[in-house]
Amino acid sequence: MKFDQAHLHEIESRCTQESPPRCQGLCPFQLDVRAFLAAMAESRHAQARKILDRALPLPGILTRICDHPCENACLRQGLGGSLAISKLEQHCAAVAEPSRMLPLPPKKFSLAVLGSGLAGLVAAAELARKGYPVTIFYRDEITAPLVTRFPSLKADDGLAADLEDLSRLRVTFEESCPDAALLARCEAEFAGVLLDADAARSLAPQEDAIDGVTRHWRGNVCCAGGLGRTPTGHAFPEAARQAGEGRRAAQTLERLAGKVSLMAAREKQQGSLHVSLEGIVPVPRVEPAGGSYTPEEARAEAARCLQCQCLICVRECVYLQKYKGYPRTYARQIYNNASIVQGFHTANALINGCSLCGRCEQLCPEHFSMADLCRAAREDMVARSYMPAAAHEFALEDMESASGPECALALNDVSLSEGAAPAWLFFPGCQLAASRGEQVIALHAHLREHLPGGVALYLSCCGIPAHWAGRQAMFAEHSSVLLKQWEKFGRPGIVAACSSCMKALRLALSEARVRSAWEILNALPLPRRCGTDFSEPLSVHDPCTARHDAAWRNAVRDLARKCGARLEEPRLSGEKTSCCGYGGLVSCARPDLAAEMSADRAAALPHTALASCIMCRDRLAAQGKDCLHLLDLLFPRPAMSGKDAAREKGPGLSARRAGRAALRRLLRDRAGEETPALQPPGMRVPPETLARLEDRHILLDDVTQAVAWTERSGQYFENLENGHRLGSFRPRHVTFWVEYSREGEGLVLHDAWCHRMKVPGSGGAAVRKEESA
Amino acid sequence: MSMAPDYPPDGGRWICALCREPLEQVKMQVFYLNSAFDVSLPSCPRCGITMTPKSLAEGKMLEVEALLEDK
Ligand code: SF4
Ligand code: SF4
Ligand code: SF4
Ligand SMILES: [Zn+2]
Repeated sequence: MKFDQAHLHEIESRCTQESPPRCQGLCPFQLDVRAFLAAMAESRHAQARKILDRALPLPGILTRICDHPCENACLRQGLGGSLAISKLEQHCAAVAEPSRMLPLPPKKFSLAVLGSGLAGLVAAAELARKGYPVTIFYRDEITAPLVTRFPSLKADDGLAADLEDLSRLRVTFEESCPDAALLARCEAEFAGVLLDADAARSLAPQEDAIDGVTRHWRGNVCCAGGLGRTPTGHAFPEAARQAGEGRRAAQTLERLAGKVSLMAAREKQQGSLHVSLEGIVPVPRVEPAGGSYTPEEARAEAARCLQCQCLICVRECVYLQKYKGYPRTYARQIYNNASIVQGFHTANALINGCSLCGRCEQLCPEHFSMADLCRAAREDMVARSYMPAAAHEFALEDMESASGPECALALNDVSLSEGAAPAWLFFPGCQLAASRGEQVIALHAHLREHLPGGVALYLSCCGIPAHWAGRQAMFAEHSSVLLKQWEKFGRPGIVAACSSCMKALRLALSEARVRSAWEILNALPLPRRCGTDFSEPLSVHDPCTARHDAAWRNAVRDLARKCGARLEEPRLSGEKTSCCGYGGLVSCARPDLAAEMSADRAAALPHTALASCIMCRDRLAAQGKDCLHLLDLLFPRPAMSGKDAAREKGPGLSARRAGRAALRRLLRDRAGEETPALQPPGMRVPPETLARLEDRHILLDDVTQAVAWTERSGQYFENLENGHRLGSFRPRHVTFWVEYSREGEGLVLHDAWCHRMKVPGSGGAAVRKEESA
Repeated sequence: MSMAPDYPPDGGRWICALCREPLEQVKMQVFYLNSAFDVSLPSCPRCGITMTPKSLAEGKMLEVEALLEDK
């Protein structure tokens, strides 16, 4: 994906939210019907009138005679009847004072109109409003052609008012029979000429001599406003079409006079607005009890307007709602962000707030993908080094640690003879390893028992954080490590238990056969202790990374049912499932937003939830949502009821890291190799303090290191009031502060905080190194 | 960009543990991403170790860091 203007237009034009609603699309004057009706629904008549006057060149006449094509297209049609747009316009024109148009400074080209029919007057008004001096040539009586065609105008004062307006706009009326001689004179003397095909019928050419879009006939002459014809040849007036032609002819005359291309950028190319009618109840059209609307009736009728909009994707996504726009506006902001050379990148938060879950693409009728856009933008930010370091640092370090010597492990199946290649490689994923070590072991044992050919085990991060962070090089490097290990095992089939891992592994090891653990298990005998004491139904929550993985989703449902669970589908499920807030590293870059996403998803699941991704499960549980992991049905933990398993909070960030290391040690020990245990910290961390650290994304490891350094160096501050010690340590680009005190033989931690700024005289030895470097 | 200049400790009677000296507010520069800021921080007048109070780290500093990162 490239970040240039052409590409921006291609992307943003896919979102139809700015396309006009159907009513407006069919109005020859593109009246903003939605805004007009919104104002009418609140009896803001002056406002409504202003909208009418701005769009309609002859509001008095047009509100009276328009045959309202808008109503034929109204989406209310099948839901109580189209809006009575025309009657409401008339009501507005009757009750509200017209807003006065100020004439623009006069332009230098003069234009002529031959014939005072509807198209002629509309064209005159359009041009006069723009400041062109216009002369209308008419025969006998100015109003005659109009009143003949539209008798309802006879008794109407709208006609007189509009003519008065034309005079005010300096339109000249000249009584002179429009004949061939006059036409020839006008063609010579004026910059452009409009021929009214009804009022100056005898001069008008055959319709097929005129361009249907521009109404251009020949030279500097346009022709517009002929009568409609039935198939039998009977002529009849069609106000909207005739007036519309007059307007388009006026635009062409302007171009002719200014010598601009007649066609360029004339009609904006836009997809039609998508509107979801789901859940809209029919409301019958309000007909005036008398001849015309009372104010109450008008208000009630206008309130039936659906205010048609798309926002199909926005309505379901907490993130898209956050910035008060929609993908089209966001795309623009993101591209503007990319083109900033100096100044603030105000869309960084927007770009890093998307969970890359892909639901918008699934819901959007045009398949607009915010995920693709945001991930490409992240790659661009990384490539041009303006991605804020802090945005994804924690997750990337976590990835490194989960794939490093402390947590990563590659173990062949011990039942295979030395050097033999296993048929399968089990890849539980670093988050499952962090949270559910025992179940990883149980699942591995079950796979080994039932799959022929041996099942090796590989503990590591799959690398998806780098992919999400837009760090292509890092992802590629990580992939090459995975690839080497996979080849060392002899390219076995991969069994993965995390849908994000599956995605990453399929990218990283394009030649590997990657299957979900659930699919594999579904074909094997059930684990002996599987089952549940849960009798209420469970709401299935699909992980967003399994949105396009039907095999994953079906196997999860099958297995859960085999374990005796009753399942219910939430409103958004399967391909339309929601992200739990872990995706795309939002939880790292925008923890507040990620929590809102989790809460939103939790609220949409009516029963205890059943997740098949450990991050979904732990994040929903963190929101106070009862949630089981599929493993809780397959390998229930001893002496733990279903309720308790659903209630249990997942481990925090420090405990996750410790969990990975512990699982590695355990497996290593069982495999007969010793690894030195982690140094016991010798420091007590009260749960409230730990919770505060977790909120700030501060790891116990860093804190322990800071305390160790402080104690060793003796460089710290002492609070004489309570004996607290305060020291600091800067291992990387972050300075950690630790406040602790002695407690018997050991230590107790009271608080910790961190900052990225460099403060001279703090942070210990590393400060000096960084400064001299 | 401005930082209110003076940041005393968040409370308590602090001394430098090595030098046993009470701290003084010392004017200095702190750095981030090619920018420098003038502040006064509690510091040991003898050995110069300097304290960053939590209220500063989690308040103004965090704000300025985020701002500079988006630049
Ligand atoms: S679903 Fe969203 S992206 Fe698609 S057209 Fe509608 S508003 Fe635009
Ligand atoms: S419901 Fe309102 S906005 Fe939608 S088509 Fe009808 S008048 Fe237009
Ligand atoms: S969070 Fe998901 S639904 Fe929302 S914009 Fe990003 S990819 Fe689309
Ligand atoms: Zn000192």
